[in-house]
Amino acid sequence: MQPLLSQYWPILIFGAIAGGIAVAMMLGALFAARQKPYAEKLSAYECGFEPFDDARRRFDVRFYLVCLLFIIFDLEVAFLFPWAVSLSHIGLFGFFSMLTFLAELTVGYVYAWRRGALDWE
Amino acid sequence: MIFAHIFFYVFAIILVASAVMVVTARNPVHSVLFLILCFFNAAGLFLIAGAEFLAFILLIVYVGAVAVLFLFVVMMLDIDFSELRAGVQRYAPIGGVIGAILFLELVLVLGGWKVSPLAAGLRLTPMGYGISNTDAIGRVLYTQYAFLFETASLVLMVAMIGAIVLTHRDRRRSKSQVIAQQNARNPADTLAMIDVAVGAGVKAADIRRPDPALERPGEVVVLPDEETHEPVLVAPEPRSH
Amino acid sequence: MNWIVALPEIVLALSGMAVLIAGVFAPRPGAFQLTSMLALGALLVTAGLVVIAPAGVGYGGLYVADAFSRFVQLLILAGAALAIILSLDFNRQEAELARFEFPVLILFAAVGMMIMVGATNFMTLYLGLELQSLALYVVAAFARDSLRSSEAGLKYFVLGSLASGLLLYGISLTYGFSGSMSFAQVARALLSGTPSVGLVIGMVFVISGLVFKVAAAPFHMWSPDVYEGAPTSVTALLGSAPKVAALALLLRVMMGPYGHLLSQWQLLIEIISIASLVVGALAPILQTSIKRLMAYSSIGHVGYALMGLAAGTQSGTTATLIYLATYLFMTLGSFGVIIAMRRQGRSVETISDLAGLGRNDAGLALAMTIFMLSMAGVPPLSGFFGKLYVFLAAVQSGLWTLAVIGVIASVVGAYYYLRIVKIMYFDAPVRAFDRRSPSLSFVVAASGIVTVFFIIVAGPVTAAAQAAALALLG
Repeated sequence: MQPLLSQYWPILIFGAIAGGIAVAMMLGALFAARQKPYAEKLSAYECGFEPFDDARRRFDVRFYLVCLLFIIFDLEVAFLFPWAVSLSHIGLFGFFSMLTFLAELTVGYVYAWRRGALDWE
Repeated sequence: MIFAHIFFYVFAIILVASAVMVVTARNPVHSVLFLILCFFNAAGLFLIAGAEFLAFILLIVYVGAVAVLFLFVVMMLDIDFSELRAGVQRYAPIGGVIGAILFLELVLVLGGWKVSPLAAGLRLTPMGYGISNTDAIGRVLYTQYAFLFETASLVLMVAMIGAIVLTHRDRRRSKSQVIAQQNARNPADTLAMIDVAVGAGVKAADIRRPDPALERPGEVVVLPDEETHEPVLVAPEPRSH
Repeated sequence: MNWIVALPEIVLALSGMAVLIAGVFAPRPGAFQLTSMLALGALLVTAGLVVIAPAGVGYGGLYVADAFSRFVQLLILAGAALAIILSLDFNRQEAELARFEFPVLILFAAVGMMIMVGATNFMTLYLGLELQSLALYVVAAFARDSLRSSEAGLKYFVLGSLASGLLLYGISLTYGFSGSMSFAQVARALLSGTPSVGLVIGMVFVISGLVFKVAAAPFHMWSPDVYEGAPTSVTALLGSAPKVAALALLLRVMMGPYGHLLSQWQLLIEIISIASLVVGALAPILQTSIKRLMAYSSIGHVGYALMGLAAGTQSGTTATLIYLATYLFMTLGSFGVIIAMRRQGRSVETISDLAGLGRNDAGLALAMTIFMLSMAGVPPLSGFFGKLYVFLAAVQSGLWTLAVIGVIASVVGAYYYLRIVKIMYFDAPVRAFDRRSPSLSFVVAASGIVTVFFIIVAGPVTAAAQAAALALLG
């Protein structure tokens, strides 16, 4: 057992408390609240939306593009963590290999910007 | 020690159970949510194995970005998933056979667990104790494996180009403001002063409609004439006073 | 850190980025033309660098530049350049295809292929393979408003990812049981004692993944659909350079790290080769679309190329390399002819559309005849030499069954190649095709000259392939 793991106790306790509260709220609503469902309650109010409906709607493909670009830059950031941690040991070469990496993605970024992929409308 | 064991089994059981739910859940959105639960438990397993970098990358990249993308895709596809599931029964036998063969192979691999004598020496971690996992990865990734690191960046760039090429369209549905064009306009191009005699009406002064806003001075714009329904050329020269 | 060994790749990657930036800043209507020309220049410069760059192992054993990688890289660059030339006019005639990213993606695919064939480590192999695959998935779906092109791209992507998954699983088993990712270390680990079951299963997964990428027989299902659906200029690319690169990679992996397991994989490769030969000989007979026919025919050609690998000797490796060299030009030339098949601005793709080409356009018909006869293996065209060498290698290694099946398959295959010749010259002529563009005539003529006059350069090419095989086997 690594001593490392003991450092994660607070996170585990945090997770347990968060889960406990979530379960408590759901159970609390189940037991404490008065539940009287009837037909009128479940119908749409005047011109409103259906209260229970399929939430799936066709999204504009542009959301997807934004999401993909986000993943790419998210991965780029993920590469920065170990670099930042080990920067004092990898010397100038390691420093510049990350700068090259960032420069390559900057080229992609300039392309995305000029192409208008970052504009919404 | 015992705690690590307990948590290993807790995480592993939840992981397998939620993986089963990913496949069997009726609603694809629930599948994605179970997948996220899977990722969390896998991250817990990585932590127990001492690979904290992988654990947090799993949370940041997979839960934070990939699962969100999955949700988008599941919602974007406005299709009847129960229809897609109709084939499950039909293909279950053949899928089961393939799964059984793969399982048998895994059993064979485990049964024939005979590692090459050199393997143990080669597999020793390059870093001693007291160095965190993240640090250990960083020390080789940016120096020894710089070539692969830069290639990975090329892969990311190609992914970016691909995403834009396949989904981006130039479209202008709303009217956007182009400040440079507005600043480049000057009154002589767009404004005409006309003296209209009293009681003569607008026809006599040859006022029909304002000239269209031009993209640039000197451009010729074709407009349909209201009365004759024939296109008339509107010359952009400003009419002098 | 001997970084100069990867100089051609570095230059090509940098010029890919420069071309991308040039394209995005260029005025829109001429951007495609501009980036295509710049990309061709970059490929030419890189080819020069490949010839003059020093050989050696670089980056701590991750990458090697030797006679083998040089031979294959030149083929890859030639294939990519000819594919870009083919796309010059074709892409402008089709809607949405003349976007400036097209040549840029081909450049990056070429970088990936070059890294693949120089890989001496499983991680390099995987990254190179993914770089080329990712770029190719995108170009396959490049005509995004066409349902067929989108479907082709999606199919290619999903099945290609599955193949990558198999490959990764195999690599992880290999790593787990041998303790290293480096080809040299894996080979050393295999030298001692009998290999474990885990390692053999890992190797089988690696073979499956790579064979998937070259579309050899049990794993070929995706290729006719992708060939048919993708825009023809993309199909020309898919059928040429990536196949050469993936087969070269297969050679390097099987002869390198898994070289000592020859007795374990020889039968497997033999079976894959026979299956590809059978599919390549029988399936095209039923096709009506010329693009599907080419897909099945290329599956057959992969079967012949794998014969050399199955031989497992230096002469087998030489034979496969020569086969790949001849195959590249025959394929690109035939696709040049297929791209020329346009009537009133629309592409036509059925075999019967070729009827009467002998009377309408004698030059084009002659070129197609040359490519078809060469593919059938008629001497003295280049295809004959490729087949001769692989048969010889198979016989030398005692693979008589394989050689006999190969000969039978080439006789059966000759039927549909000759049928195309017959349709062009003897069927009732239909309306002539549109006037073909100069870029297309250039590719067809260049490939035709290589195919016809291969006999003159057969000596030097064989010597180069022998040097490459020697470099691979040490």
